[in-house]
Amino acid sequence: MIKLTNITKIYGKGDLEVPVLHGIDLTVEDGEFIAIMGPSGSGKSTLMNIIGFLDYPTAGTFELNGEPIGSAKERVLARLRNEHIGFVFQQFFMFPRDNAIKNVASPLIYAGVSKRERTERAKQLLDKVGLGDRMKHLPSELSGGQKQRVAIARALVNNPSILLADEPTGALDSKTSEQIMELFTQLNAEGKTVILVTHEEEIAAYANRIITIKDGLIIDDRRER
Amino acid sequence: MNLLESLKIALSSIWNHKVRSVLTMLGIIIGVAAVIIIVAIGQGARKQLTDQMFATDKNAIDIYYEYMPKEGEEGMYWQEPQLTTEDIQTLAEVPGVKAVVGINHAGGQVVYSDTQGDLQITGVGSEYFTAKKIKIVEGRPFYAADTDGLNRAILIDTAARKKFFKETENPIGSIVDINGNPFKVVGVYQSPVPEQYRSSEGELLMPRTVVSMMFGNMEIEQLSVIASDSEKISETGRLAADTLTMKKKLEDGRYTTQNFEEYEAELNKTITLLTLLIGSIAGISLLVGGIGVMNIMLVSVTERTREIGLRKAIGATRARILLQFLIESATLTSLGGMIGIGLASVATILVTKFSPIGAAMNPLIVLIGVSFSALIGIIFGILPANKASKLSPIDALRYE
Ligand SMILES: Nc1ncnc2c1ncn2[C@@H]1O[C@H](COP(=O)(O)OP(=O)(O)OP(=O)(O)O)[C@@H](O)[C@H]1O
Ligand SMILES: [Mg+2]
Repeated sequence: MIKLTNITKIYGKGDLEVPVLHGIDLTVEDGEFIAIMGPSGSGKSTLMNIIGFLDYPTAGTFELNGEPIGSAKERVLARLRNEHIGFVFQQFFMFPRDNAIKNVASPLIYAGVSKRERTERAKQLLDKVGLGDRMKHLPSELSGGQKQRVAIARALVNNPSILLADEPTGALDSKTSEQIMELFTQLNAEGKTVILVTHEEEIAAYANRIITIKDGLIIDDRRER
Repeated sequence: MNLLESLKIALSSIWNHKVRSVLTMLGIIIGVAAVIIIVAIGQGARKQLTDQMFATDKNAIDIYYEYMPKEGEEGMYWQEPQLTTEDIQTLAEVPGVKAVVGINHAGGQVVYSDTQGDLQITGVGSEYFTAKKIKIVEGRPFYAADTDGLNRAILIDTAARKKFFKETENPIGSIVDINGNPFKVVGVYQSPVPEQYRSSEGELLMPRTVVSMMFGNMEIEQLSVIASDSEKISETGRLAADTLTMKKKLEDGRYTTQNFEEYEAELNKTITLLTLLIGSIAGISLLVGGIGVMNIMLVSVTERTREIGLRKAIGATRARILLQFLIESATLTSLGGMIGIGLASVATILVTKFSPIGAAMNPLIVLIGVSFSALIGIIFGILPANKASKLSPIDALRYE
């Protein structure tokens, strides 16, 4: 469970201050499938980064499973990212010289998992996302959809409870987007909390809760079905 | 944290930029190779010089005359006192003295049947053979009667025997001509001088009294004392020199000994100074190399900003990133150091092969070389690694 209370975020300092989030209150229960929508520049990515421990809020409180994170040390945040969060980005972000298996296995290096087990688990997950026949390929030898599958496998490899995806289908065609969304639906059905950002209604329709942000505030929060 | 893992990542990233890595390592390679070659040659030279110093006999010390006039009595010309067999006998009785050797030198043209050659002549006394442990191959050494009786006898060394006589021929008793005078060969000896300092023409021994008479030089030009205890060589030498000064009742001069310790200390000082000088040049080259490494690592950090952001996003801590880059730069410089050592060993082998200096590579220096270059990598890697570790993950990921 994630609980955000009155989260604000201001970029920059002094005259260059850019206030982005103006007090976000949000509770995410385990197993939810949430889509965050809103106009460009409204602060969706900023919010995702805060939820994913990639960035600090300027003010407000953050609880993970009832524990206040507060102003945790960088080392603690790194561990939280590694253990609790799986991040999927619009631009995929791969290690270009590593093959699919190594890319998927990479978070496990920082979890201190042995090489053999890392390879084992990476292979399992590549199978799960339907890339069993592309294990030894480099990112440059994969299509956009395949890269995003590798990225999802990587996000899942350390068995996190929360999957965050910032416009995961933003760079994909509608057919491929559909396949990726079916994968997210399946993962949610298996118990993962999924939070994704999207601009498209069809993508948001896969979620069972849709939050709309505008100018750094939640202006709509509705549950489907 | 798994060091081996980080080392593998570092090696693959160095391998991915082969050309750049080699160019970056160049400064380190040259620096390390230079240091090791210099040290190896320095040690070789020192050993050679020491060997040369003690080439003849470790227990022997030379006694020579020093002109020391009283104030206001300095003359333009002075004459060294004459020494004779009698003086040698006196010195032989000084405590701690095992033997005394007096020799003089000359050179002469030797002719025998169709062969002729210019040979070094050493004038010796009968004591020479036991004191210097001369090995007589054929015939006999000199006896006291040969020196006292001005016997025109010679011993030739094995090289001269080879030059003038056939192997089957018996040289003993043959008459050879030296500067127009007939001499009788009484023996063949093995020269005690190490081969590389010896003339290939050959040498011969003659009674020193005969040399003095024939060439007009002093009967004893070089006087050396052999001590029974090599530890007390300087002491014994000094005692012998003082005894001789007293016996000769010298007024404006004295006998003294060469001081090996002083000489050796001087030599060591020179070599140390030279090593220090060249060492500092090598140090500067290593410094420049280190700055090159730092520069490349900074470029690498900028290039890999996104990779760093991604590593952080998947759970790498700041310390982990820091370590990764430190290991990378240390690996880079260690590799450079190893290549430098490789080059140095090739150079050392070549020097040993093609010059008289037996350059010796010290295994310790290899170890120091590698650790030192790793240290350079760590020192000059701190700045770039720190820069990498401080990147914020989102800024790094957003970097174009
Ligand atoms: N590092 C930063 N420094 C200053 N301003 C920033 C920074 N990052 C983001 N912003 C600003 O914050 C606002 C929100 O950015 P954010 O990326 O969260 O928007 P978004 O909702 O994800 O937009 P999009 O749909 O286009 O991705 C924008 O106006 C952006 O310019
Ligand atoms: Mg965004």
